[in-house]
Amino acid sequence: MRAARLILGSVAIVSLAGGCADDEQAATTVLRVANWGGAQVEPEFVRLERRFREEFEVLHPGVRLRVEQIPGPGQYAPKLLMMHVTGSVPDVIHLDASSAAVFIDNHVLRDLTPFVESDPGFDLSEYFENVVNIARRGDELYAIPLDFTPMVMYYNKKLFDQAGVPYPRTGWTCTDFLEAAKKLTVFADDSRKAPVQYGVSFENVMPFWVPWLWTSGGDVLDPSGKKASAYFDGPETTQAMQFLVDLMTKHRVAPHLKESAAAGVDLFRSGRAAMELKGHWMMIDYRADGINFGVVGLPTNTSKRVTVIYEAGMSITRKARHPELAWEYIKFMTSKDVQVRRVASGLAISANKEAAAQYAGDPIEDAFIEEVAYARPPWGATVERYPFIEELGREMMEDILYSDGELPVEEALRQTAKLIDAALAEP
Amino acid sequence: MAALRANNWRGYVFVAPATLYLALFAFFPMVFAGYMSLHRWHLLKEDHPFVGLANFTTMLADPFFRNAIYNTLIYVVFSVPLGVVTSLAVAALVAQRLRGVGVFRTLYYIPAIGSKVAISMVWIWILLPEVGLINASLKWLGGEGTTNFLAEPGWAMAALVAMSLGIGLGPRMIIFLAGIQSVPQTYYEAAALDGCTAWKRFRHVTLPLLAPTTLFVVITTTIASFQLFTEVYMMTRGGPRRTTDVVLYHIYKEAWQKFEVGMASAMSYVLFAMILIVALLQFRIMRRGLSEGAVA
Repeated sequence: MRAARLILGSVAIVSLAGGCADDEQAATTVLRVANWGGAQVEPEFVRLERRFREEFEVLHPGVRLRVEQIPGPGQYAPKLLMMHVTGSVPDVIHLDASSAAVFIDNHVLRDLTPFVESDPGFDLSEYFENVVNIARRGDELYAIPLDFTPMVMYYNKKLFDQAGVPYPRTGWTCTDFLEAAKKLTVFADDSRKAPVQYGVSFENVMPFWVPWLWTSGGDVLDPSGKKASAYFDGPETTQAMQFLVDLMTKHRVAPHLKESAAAGVDLFRSGRAAMELKGHWMMIDYRADGINFGVVGLPTNTSKRVTVIYEAGMSITRKARHPELAWEYIKFMTSKDVQVRRVASGLAISANKEAAAQYAGDPIEDAFIEEVAYARPPWGATVERYPFIEELGREMMEDILYSDGELPVEEALRQTAKLIDAALAEP
Repeated sequence: MAALRANNWRGYVFVAPATLYLALFAFFPMVFAGYMSLHRWHLLKEDHPFVGLANFTTMLADPFFRNAIYNTLIYVVFSVPLGVVTSLAVAALVAQRLRGVGVFRTLYYIPAIGSKVAISMVWIWILLPEVGLINASLKWLGGEGTTNFLAEPGWAMAALVAMSLGIGLGPRMIIFLAGIQSVPQTYYEAAALDGCTAWKRFRHVTLPLLAPTTLFVVITTTIASFQLFTEVYMMTRGGPRRTTDVVLYHIYKEAWQKFEVGMASAMSYVLFAMILIVALLQFRIMRRGLSEGAVA
């Protein structure tokens, strides 16, 4: 009897709690937004984001924004896809160009063309066209771009001055680059064993080294994105990879994986590497540290000027509960007014041309903007399994570098191209 | 008899929540994973064609999966014996009636209450070249101190094994300690009268009487070792050169990088079978040891 009363009691409590939640929901509409990032984000930026949220809620009475942060490397896409499968995906998601394909090709997102066409208050031509096109599939459009960054070469002016090396300029060649890197590498002693300062830093993350393949005319996949053979192991890619590996093993101007991990810190940031291939986001830290830096496009020995562009867009999910409201939010966040304030942090370049133009005249911003015309989207924007291919690429680089010359670059590329082909061929 | 049965409902009420919980969150997922393992099941694709045992044959032919099994076995073969011996030794030490022994018991147990993620972060720092605790000590002793343990093939697995000794020490030590303390004092007194040294008392009294405890510790440690994941995820991501790509991490990649949850389920069943077989073998071998010990 007592047990029965206990159970009844708890049922009553549970239903009471449920009742409260229902009342709250009736009063407001909750718009759910997914975003990556988490604790590491600048507090200033977090405050700014909260301000935007409040402004949007003031503009739309009765609406409450719920931003769901999904931190952790490699966690964002899996978690959202799982939420999509279970029907609990947020209304708006931030779409990373590097993993856009898996969302678009599996119909997780809505085509935004109807919204764009029926909304007189929205003009797609206000955004950089090749950035918009990242999320385009024929006539369909799956994201409005928020902000982006091309990968560029940062250089430390102080270290260049010390070594008496002129600053790199647009149109420089790989030979120029190597010469500069050699002069900027400083060894502790004549044994030339461990440099105390490197010409260029290197991180074995494929998104950071893939532009090197492109500037020399090579590539990971064929233009259709269906196979790697004849491209990843083609002569141009082989040459580019050999060049990269030589930087670490033969010329010693870049840290071997052992050494970069040994440093435990960002070598460029700590003034121990004179150059680094990175995106706009690093500027926040470099400026905060007072590093005197410049940026320039990648060197190339071909006439092919190209780099990769990493972008964040905003999308409405197919299973969104409030698609109209979601569209209003996207319009708000990508508007010039919000964008001007948002990119002031230095995080990225606004995809809104007018907002980006606010920062024109700054030589560094101009150098970034100049690269936009030569930037192409990452393979992950169109190839669903590309994140897995990037993992194979990272492992291949490890294999080459740790084999101490026993695994020739050519052979490694051939093996990995086969693995990529197999991964792409799976139905 | 009827009265007894009439009273049974109370018992059922009490076990109902746990049974329901296990059924919903353990048994049902296990059965469902078995069902998925027989299908080609991509998380996002609508149809899941039945493929029979194809997932299993594909996986066993895959050199990367075989490599993951090999790595897991290497880890188990080193971490289980070393882990059991060290924790038994520590338990024997802290079983002494000495002043302040409680402090040591607490200290040895502390790593067990920390989250594995936090401990992994601490170990990343300990293992850093140049500035990490180990390398800095080696340098101080006149060594080079530049070994990047987590980035060198060979060292990375050794580092994971070393780390497992610290993390698993506390819980294993507590169980051994309880076992040692339950050995009646009279046996030790008898042994002492017969002229046994401390080592002989340990070898011929403590150890045989501790056999059931040891069996339990060996089996639970083995299961935990087969399920190594957090440290790999946090510290090496399966590298360098796939030398720490263990089965559970491999399953994780299959499910959450490739979204092939059918294949991942099949791999989970292989892992389950491996653990079951090894645990049963250990159980049989040590049970035989147990009964022989009783006769002797």
